[in-house]
Amino acid sequence: MAVFDKIDPAVRRETGYIALCTLILSAVMEAVFLIAGRWGLPVLLGNILGAAAAVLNFLLMGLTVQKAVDREEAEAKASMKLSQSVRMVMLFAVAAAGVGLSIFNGIAVIVPLFFPRVAVAVQPHTPWGDRQDGGDGD
Amino acid sequence: MLELAIGIILGCCALGAGVAMIAGIGPGIGEGNAVAKALEAIGRQPECRGTVTTTMLMGCVVAETTGLYALVIAILLIFVAPGRFVKILLENVK
Repeated sequence: MAVFDKIDPAVRRETGYIALCTLILSAVMEAVFLIAGRWGLPVLLGNILGAAAAVLNFLLMGLTVQKAVDREEAEAKASMKLSQSVRMVMLFAVAAAGVGLSIFNGIAVIVPLFFPRVAVAVQPHTPWGDRQDGGDGD
Repeated sequence: MLELAIGIILGCCALGAGVAMIAGIGPGIGEGNAVAKALEAIGRQPECRGTVTTTMLMGCVVAETTGLYALVIAILLIFVAPGRFVKILLENVK
């Protein structure tokens, strides 16, 4: 896959870790909804939307960082600010769609947006946290 | 009078959402500074590029969470709060 080859190995590995953690935490959230007796199709759809947005947000941030490290300092700063603004608009649109449309459960859309933060918090306690070499082999 | 009260509620909710989104500026500045410092580090030690990128990515996620909190508060103030407040107002009027 030529597209994936262009992605920095460090970004690819971390995105994989975030995606895996998001998947696990999504399953936990679905289980909580099921136990609470509030599970339904809107919860599942909302979870899919929120989790996809969270992983896409991280991937886009990683791609921006990857490009920014090859640029000049001022240019890198500006590109990160622009990227953050655009991603925030994307997340706002996703959260607004999740809360505003009845086919999604609002809570199930918003909660997965915080899963990457949880994944970062638990990373030191996982095998990913033990790797200090950056994994790009250079 | 009731219309005015509802208008004030809606206006204050919209104003609150706008003020909450001011917090969305912070992560952009923070991430920009993090990348700038990472560039300095990579410039000094190019062999640490992978490690620096990984650490910076994780730091950016932490910084971005602040913006997400603001985003959630803004969404709640726009979509959820007006309905609840107007409902409470109408119940008290009756």
